[in-house]
Amino acid sequence: MTNLLTIENLHARISGGRDILKGIDLTVKAGEVHAIMGPNGAGKSTLSSVLAGKPGYEVTVGSVLYQGNELQGLGPDERAREGIFLAFQYPVEIPGVNNMYFLRAALNAVRKQRGEAELDAAQFMKAVKAKLSLLDISDDLLKRPVNVGFSGGEKKRNEIFQMAMLEPKLAILDETDSGLDIDALRAVANGVNRLRDPGRAIVMITHYQRLLDYIEPDFVHVLADGKIVASGDKTLATDLEARGYAHLASAA
Amino acid sequence: MTVIKPEAAPYIAAYRAGVDTAEPDWLRARREAAIEQFATLGFPTRNDEAWRFTNLRPLAGAALPLAAASLPNPAIDGIALGVPTYRLVLHNGIPVPALSSTQALPAGVWFGTVAEVLNVRPELLKSAFVSSDFAGNQPFAALNAAMFRGGFVLTLEPGVKLEAPVEIIHFNSGTATHTRCAILVGEGASATVVEMFSGVGAGWSNVVAQVELGDGANLRHIKIQSEAAESIHLSVTRAVLASAATYSDLILSLGGRLTREDIHVALSGQGADYTLNAANLLRDQQETTFAPFVEHQVAGCTSRQTVKAVVAERAHGVFLGTIAVHPGADQTDAKQTNRNLLLDAGATVDTRPELEIYADDVKCSHGATVGDLDDAAFFYLQARGIDPHTARQMLVEAFAADIIDTANVSEDLSAYLHNHLSTWLGGLG
Repeated sequence: MTNLLTIENLHARISGGRDILKGIDLTVKAGEVHAIMGPNGAGKSTLSSVLAGKPGYEVTVGSVLYQGNELQGLGPDERAREGIFLAFQYPVEIPGVNNMYFLRAALNAVRKQRGEAELDAAQFMKAVKAKLSLLDISDDLLKRPVNVGFSGGEKKRNEIFQMAMLEPKLAILDETDSGLDIDALRAVANGVNRLRDPGRAIVMITHYQRLLDYIEPDFVHVLADGKIVASGDKTLATDLEARGYAHLASAA
Repeated sequence: MTVIKPEAAPYIAAYRAGVDTAEPDWLRARREAAIEQFATLGFPTRNDEAWRFTNLRPLAGAALPLAAASLPNPAIDGIALGVPTYRLVLHNGIPVPALSSTQALPAGVWFGTVAEVLNVRPELLKSAFVSSDFAGNQPFAALNAAMFRGGFVLTLEPGVKLEAPVEIIHFNSGTATHTRCAILVGEGASATVVEMFSGVGAGWSNVVAQVELGDGANLRHIKIQSEAAESIHLSVTRAVLASAATYSDLILSLGGRLTREDIHVALSGQGADYTLNAANLLRDQQETTFAPFVEHQVAGCTSRQTVKAVVAERAHGVFLGTIAVHPGADQTDAKQTNRNLLLDAGATVDTRPELEIYADDVKCSHGATVGDLDDAAFFYLQARGIDPHTARQMLVEAFAADIIDTANVSEDLSAYLHNHLSTWLGGLG
């Protein structure tokens, strides 16, 4: 099977700053779930920002191939339409923009790119209802402005709901577990698990092992000081929980 | 011997040429006094504190022609509300009966042009005219007092409640049009008035309006300023609210090269309430000065002002807002907010919110912000596949549409206002 994502010797930084990523190599195939773990300051959020195309970050060395094509130079909206989805660590509140209006614009942009017909209001609502029941989300979230007045758990669930609607090929979950109590974590994790698919890859970026109790990864990588210092299966995560990052970080 | 300002000369000549000897003496005397006042004042300059941010150069060219008597009727499709209203169309201030529909008004409502009022109910005009003759040092109001021909008067007898909106379409086809308007709502009466300013060419609309609300009266006043791109729109509104009267003012300003909106609201009866929601949308080299002055004259009144501006390209937005609380106006509850969204490096904003408080027991707040698009929100929308152009439009629309959505107008009016906003956004680069 061809690689969905191939990261080679990636060095990246916040524009004008020092390199935060210092040579990352990572290969992700469709259907796989990867967890990237690491201590604070390891570069986890920088990695997700670079993959999503967030302004203010620059790649200094190396390449990021998505479906065989270089991602650098593509805007965040182009990446999203090509099937890359970033679930935000801190979903942004956008007063005045209705959640449904926003999501329909997003879905139709993505569908257009895929060569599918745009959905009218009725077709869109039908699609929404189907995904809501899949994820056990109440529809009152939808009537509000994007993320405005949502609890932490609602925001994260809304991210997963958007993911369900947009059906990305590559989903990057950036600290999706942060700020969630155990019930909310379980609900979000269940949603993600239902979105596991042979055609879809998921990269989870997380600080804690506990997310991996709910979403079982195929591979676990440890990121420390801008490099992947260890890779393995899920037992690596358990090992980390017991021993901490320090012994790996010092090897970086 | 008074000194006549040079820029006033062509206007004085036009005034002299247009004197109508058939008008009542009191009116002619007032016009004469007003033109003398204008002759001495001339145009304001940047040395006048109230005009220091306003660039009047677009007015400095040759004096614009007054309206010719007969012109083809303007096309009002897309301008008119499109729902049943009591409608008056004024073309350069001159009524267009073929496009108007003011017949079916209920008893107790009087709605007509200035000329009709002079014939039928001169006392109405005199009262509104005299009370709006506050011009003081406002030269354009003085010029209006001297020159006005067109305009409208709407009066509601006590207790009359008008369901359908009263709609006035002011269409300027490139002339100097001095318009005088009066809305007089009697005790306990209520109405919705929608004024649309539209036009073609490089005209000048110089509007003076008087609003008087009796005890417990209720007026919803919506104004859309969508004049031609090269035109000038100067407007002075004076409103006086009696006890427990409610005035809801909504202004969407989109057109014109140079716009100035002076609004003077006197809360003169206990429990009167004024709400202003305004959005000024500016691009190209447009300039708008928005100057509300809200005066709490007695105790227990409330006022809420939210004025927003979207300033793109090389446009310039000015906000000069004042809340004045008189001695004894205790339990005043007043709030004023000015928010500005700058979209381009060449866009500028001057904002000066002011409080003048001479009472002790009051709750007053004001604030102004100037900012650009929220980068985080802009990225978030794009991260979901929405292109940057659309994302920007969505965020600008959200910023401005809030003015419409919080005003709680009917669905028809809301759709009408949203349409005008969307049209403007569609032209945004």
